[in-house]
Amino acid sequence: MTETRTIDVGEGAAIPSKSDWGLFNAWTISIVGAVGAILYLILTQPAPYKRIIYYLADGVVITFQVTVMSILCACCIGLIVGLGRVSKNKAINLVASTYVEIIRGIPLLVQLFYIYYALGRFLNVHDLTAAIIAMSVCYGAYMGEVFRAGITAIDKGQTEAARSLGFNTKQTMFLVILPQAWRTILPPVGNEFIALLKDTSLVSILAVSDLLRRGREFSSETFLYFETYTMVALVYLVITLILSKGVSFMEARLSHYVRH
Amino acid sequence: MSATNAPIVDIRHVHKSFGSLKALNNVSMSMSLGEKVVIIGPSGSGKSTLLRSINKLETVDAGTIIVDGHDINAPTTDINKLRMELGMVFQSFNLFPHKTVLENLTLAPMKLKGMSKDVAETMALKLLDKVGIKDKAHQYPSQLSGGQQQRVAIARALAMSPKIMLFDEPTSALDPEMIGEVLDVMVTLAKEGMTMAVVTHEMGFAREVADRVVFMDHGTIIEQGTPEHFFTSPEHERTKLFLSQIL
Repeated sequence: MTETRTIDVGEGAAIPSKSDWGLFNAWTISIVGAVGAILYLILTQPAPYKRIIYYLADGVVITFQVTVMSILCACCIGLIVGLGRVSKNKAINLVASTYVEIIRGIPLLVQLFYIYYALGRFLNVHDLTAAIIAMSVCYGAYMGEVFRAGITAIDKGQTEAARSLGFNTKQTMFLVILPQAWRTILPPVGNEFIALLKDTSLVSILAVSDLLRRGREFSSETFLYFETYTMVALVYLVITLILSKGVSFMEARLSHYVRH
Repeated sequence: MSATNAPIVDIRHVHKSFGSLKALNNVSMSMSLGEKVVIIGPSGSGKSTLLRSINKLETVDAGTIIVDGHDINAPTTDINKLRMELGMVFQSFNLFPHKTVLENLTLAPMKLKGMSKDVAETMALKLLDKVGIKDKAHQYPSQLSGGQQQRVAIARALAMSPKIMLFDEPTSALDPEMIGEVLDVMVTLAKEGMTMAVVTHEMGFAREVADRVVFMDHGTIIEQGTPEHFFTSPEHERTKLFLSQIL
């Protein structure tokens, strides 16, 4: 009856799907290559590489922290913005749209500096918190667009059916539209998740000891620039690949119901 | 048609435009309790718009619509409450694909009427039995045929115990062999005394069930009357032409 709709995915790592053997192979090659390279370097040249990986470990934890916290906050902001963008209330709609326009018009790095120093000056918040807020505010706008697309992709007949039964707009949204929109929203959210993880490397500029900053610290002390950044890149790659696999598994699980 | 009863639906001088297209042009029509009205006409004649304006899925530009004593466009009217009295069946079924058949039926009674799950499910199963698909209760809509889905949609609307049922071309999206099973359910419903407004192209159904047939074209009601009158001796040229084309 209705054709399957897709949402424009934008940036982010490609998510392998079972039907796409090219990507699946690419994923396998990449993960095996990356993990193999790390192990090979540690085992054959433990002198610099073992030290590097130990030093980077703390940074991985921070990167994860920033990523997870930011994605949670960004999802909340995104849901609110997405609902605002589909709202029939003109004022709410305008506020949400303006937020999206402004955020999308400023480079993430500039936003990070701005929010970080603005928050630091007026509120004196912790470095890590400021970084998380900045990431959330930015990605909240992108998420808002994903949510909006997911909501508008649901057939209008669903809203009409719910309204004709007597549900109000809010009930219609939360009982009928959003539970269905989740399935369409999940893949692009997964992509945003991965993109956000990579973008957290930007917070290394803000005195947050994430993976990249730990690498910078280590290399500037030891002058082992090549070795350190090789390791940093490989670690990012492994994390991103694992995440993208996780996203595609989740997607497969959630799509168990067949679209009509 | 009991003339003594106050009309349960009273549509007066209603206008509705979509851009430059005049979908409804000064339409007046009323229905009394228990009456079955079948609205026919060529596509684009405004018949669906008329039906959809009864439960305010379309908001009219001018005119009044009174349902069960309430002006649906009055600011004091709680349209959500009023819609509970108006069951609606769509051409494209519009079942909730993320819910099982049973959940499709119980969702509204539980959330809107505060019915307990047990009571709602018992009632839902009774309704599914009535439309002949009790065995599909725990399947998802996508696992059902079109005819089965539409019968579920009828049962879902009935689950709110509406006073009036509105059918918007309920068989138009169905394969020919499935039309019968849906019409059978509708005929049964009509025989039980349900007040029904049906937009359809099924002339056999109109003949069998309708108390009154309303013919629309270009946003106006051209002619209305009993099926006998309508199908045997229509007055207007436009009606005769339409009937000659479809019969």
